[in-house]
Amino acid sequence: MKNILKDWAIEIVILLIAIVLAVFNPSKVSSALLSATKTYLNLIIVLVAVVLLSSFISATIPKQTIGKIIGKQSGLKGMLIGAIFGTLMVGPAYMFYPFFKELRDKGAGANIIATTIGAWAIKAPWIPFAITVLGWKFTLLFNGLIFVFAILSGFFVGAFFKE
Amino acid sequence: MNTNIIEGIVLLALVLALYIVYFFRGDRKKLVDASKKSGKMFIQNSVRLFAIFVIIAILEKFLSPKSVSQFLLKFKGFTGIIVGALTGAIMMAPAATSYPIGQYLLSHNASYSLVAAFLFTWVGIGVVALPLEFKFLGKKFTLLRNSFTFIAAILIALLMGVLL
Repeated sequence: MKNILKDWAIEIVILLIAIVLAVFNPSKVSSALLSATKTYLNLIIVLVAVVLLSSFISATIPKQTIGKIIGKQSGLKGMLIGAIFGTLMVGPAYMFYPFFKELRDKGAGANIIATTIGAWAIKAPWIPFAITVLGWKFTLLFNGLIFVFAILSGFFVGAFFKE
Repeated sequence: MNTNIIEGIVLLALVLALYIVYFFRGDRKKLVDASKKSGKMFIQNSVRLFAIFVIIAILEKFLSPKSVSQFLLKFKGFTGIIVGALTGAIMMAPAATSYPIGQYLLSHNASYSLVAAFLFTWVGIGVVALPLEFKFLGKKFTLLRNSFTFIAAILIALLMGVLL
């Protein structure tokens, strides 16, 4: 019981916040619940894919294989793989945290995961839209700097992990 | 159509292709294990994600794009960069929502630096998702990665200011 409470502490706190707010402002909270449900439905296919992919990797791919491709020792090459993957993906990075955890458990380096999450800030499919709104100079420089940041982030975080 | 749905369909198709190939080439017993694990993971993560979506939606109801931009326009210089970065870290909506806000700020004489800091932490740091990162990737990883990201936000902002 105590473990369940600990494991779900965040969700319980959020539930309590929602209940308290609902007492004061029921209409805002009910519309928030509606919009959360919409977000969930929009992302449910991504979630199914992430979950299936995580458990597939966990069940079938040996630890050494993951370690070889994106282990800490893969260095810049592994980070580039992560950076490209992160750049191409849209949707919130936190949806992929269970997947990253699975990869970490299988030997992926902290540096690679940090770079991947860093590059997630680049939304490749949205770049054309960003250019029309913010101008090409701003958009390209901005995304170029994020890419450099993502690689540096891998080096920085990696420096603190031995494995 | 919503990009998340398109991305989901592409990803799911790729993953299913993996399952099918493995079904014919690999150890089918392992696929059964994977499917069982998937079911449990799906339910757990649905609850966790839904909770995050609720908090994000509540935030959205209280922080409209208009009020956020008007708030940010009050700040200038280095303070503007810091306030921009902190505000972006709290915002959690999809990136596409942030670009028109950036455009509005720029057209109202906000500095490139402030806008860059704000847009970068919007996608780079999610205060609301920090507990999830803690849970899945560990405290050490989360603290290191996010503090580095915050410092990078300020550096990127300064660089954008110099280069544009």
